[in-house]
Amino acid sequence: MNLNLFRKSFVVVKRICNVRYLYTSKSNLNFTVVNFNEKKENDALEYTSEDLSTVTPYFPQSFNLAAYVNSSETLQNLVHLNVNLSKIEKNPIIVEKILKLNFEQDIKRGLLFIKDFVNGDDIGNFLTKNPLILCEDVEDLEVRVNYLKSKQFEHNEISRIITKNPFWLMFSTIRIDRRLGFYQEKFELSGNEVRLLATKQPRLITYNLQHIQTNFFVIKEEMGFKDDEIKQLLLAKPRLWMMNQKKILERFNYIHNVIKIPHEIILQCPHILLHRNFKVKQRHTFLEKLGRAQYNPTIENFVPLNALFELTDIEFCKKYAKCHVDDFNMFLKTL
Amino acid sequence: MVKYVNAAVAYKTLNGLICVYKPPCVPVRQVQHTIVTNLCRDLNALPDRPQEKRVEIIGATNAPMTVKLVPNYADDPLVCGPRYTHGDFRCSWATHLGLFTSGVLILGLNEGTRLTYQINVARPTRAYKVHGQLGKATDTYFWNGKTIERSTFSHVTRAKIDRIVAHMQSAHQKTMFELSGLHMDSQTTYDLASQGVIRPSNSKLPVIYGLKCVHFEPPNFTLEVQAVNEYEKYLWTLIHDLGVQLKTSAYCTGLQCIRQGKFTLEKALLRKHWQLDHLIDNMDSCRELIEEHEHLIRPKSAHLSV
Repeated sequence: MNLNLFRKSFVVVKRICNVRYLYTSKSNLNFTVVNFNEKKENDALEYTSEDLSTVTPYFPQSFNLAAYVNSSETLQNLVHLNVNLSKIEKNPIIVEKILKLNFEQDIKRGLLFIKDFVNGDDIGNFLTKNPLILCEDVEDLEVRVNYLKSKQFEHNEISRIITKNPFWLMFSTIRIDRRLGFYQEKFELSGNEVRLLATKQPRLITYNLQHIQTNFFVIKEEMGFKDDEIKQLLLAKPRLWMMNQKKILERFNYIHNVIKIPHEIILQCPHILLHRNFKVKQRHTFLEKLGRAQYNPTIENFVPLNALFELTDIEFCKKYAKCHVDDFNMFLKTL
Repeated sequence: MVKYVNAAVAYKTLNGLICVYKPPCVPVRQVQHTIVTNLCRDLNALPDRPQEKRVEIIGATNAPMTVKLVPNYADDPLVCGPRYTHGDFRCSWATHLGLFTSGVLILGLNEGTRLTYQINVARPTRAYKVHGQLGKATDTYFWNGKTIERSTFSHVTRAKIDRIVAHMQSAHQKTMFELSGLHMDSQTTYDLASQGVIRPSNSKLPVIYGLKCVHFEPPNFTLEVQAVNEYEKYLWTLIHDLGVQLKTSAYCTGLQCIRQGKFTLEKALLRKHWQLDHLIDNMDSCRELIEEHEHLIRPKSAHLSV
């Protein structure tokens, strides 16, 4: 900038100089030379005694937070809290909001509030999942926690809910109330059971209700569980309602129609529906090949349903298949 | 099994071929994805390099400034993301296996992708176990299709199936010479043919070198096929044709690749073993195998070699 100005004035001076040279005497020429020397004192290459620490190089727009982290105290503090900024930056809208926050003014109060409910080790994970909670009004958060208190949730239950589901506090009390009501009505739960469900799987409450409806249909109509069995299933494994309906049906289909396990036994061990089908399938076919696939507890050589997914392969072979794990591996290579 | 000092050392060893067991109904792309994801997970769990430092010169420029060495936050894995991600790995297959095929699959990692290309061009023979069932035909020739025909199969005996299988094998010998790229009536072709079976010059048509019934227990039977350039659907149609020629109908119930060139089932890593240490061991043994059998990647003659 400075240099450019200097160049311009230099050209002007030179022109004047040329014109004057044609018409006037030497004295005028001398004047121009002096003028030139005066200009040279403002050269950008010259030393200056000013403080230039505020001058920074050109900083183009960045695509990630790493560019800002060394100069931003807020981001550094978040890193100290174990917040994974690389995950936050995937959503530019959130990043824009986070970058505008000031740690002392905006973040601190919310953080102290959250700290009452979230364990120190989990707070990084919590903020990674839901950084927008820092933009939320603390009064609103208080109201939402008070709502839970008014519904007779214990303090440890509330802290479990908030830790397990970072998005819970983003939902207004009206929405949460409506959703708890939905579950109570749909599954005919008592107050205690609703509380148990919300504490056991808080993510279920804020989950996509359309998805819940679909899975309800799959479990009731396609799998054929009765209403009281569904309730039992919901309280035992609420995650079933958050799974992909095709996957869950495929698993059930294999267990019920291929292995021929009746509904009652599946209800006693609903965990089997949470495991990928190939695991159950390969162990079952192996046991079948050995002639040990006998899941009826009243007959001898009984193998519990747990054996199909629990334990490592080595323990499974030793305990239930009664063979070496190498035989099992050999078998897997024939599938 | 070697314990690695840090992730960088382990990453540098990951150049070469791996031989894995592809489960049925899992696409090859998913196999690649799983393996690379597992490698990233295991590498990121290994001891990391020390975090970079950053020189900071602070203070007013017209007074003596202070120089400080401060930790560089931008280098923290929490800020810049995990050290190893999918972008750090190139992964390619030597020969493609269809969705429903299980068995030996050769993958190249990083520098090994070049080897997979060479193996592909060298056209190694592949051996398959094709499981079929008599008495039923489906529209896709496979178990996933709709049944379009049912028939009796009590007249089929081991001898009959063997005869037809042998007939089918000899019929394929002709395509083998057609694909050699030489004129059928020339002396060169005669010389080549007199020395034994030859490899195809391109990948246009499937060539079957060996066809054998290894298991027969009506209605189920198993064929062992040695072939080049074959693909999933082709092997299914083979079973269908066999059914027609046996004056009944048949469909394919399973397809398993048991050998690719010199890579056999013993070498193949099972899905539960797709982890860093197992994969590195597997890569070592594959490298030894390639060094022993140079012709696998650089064949010198047109003759078929296992």
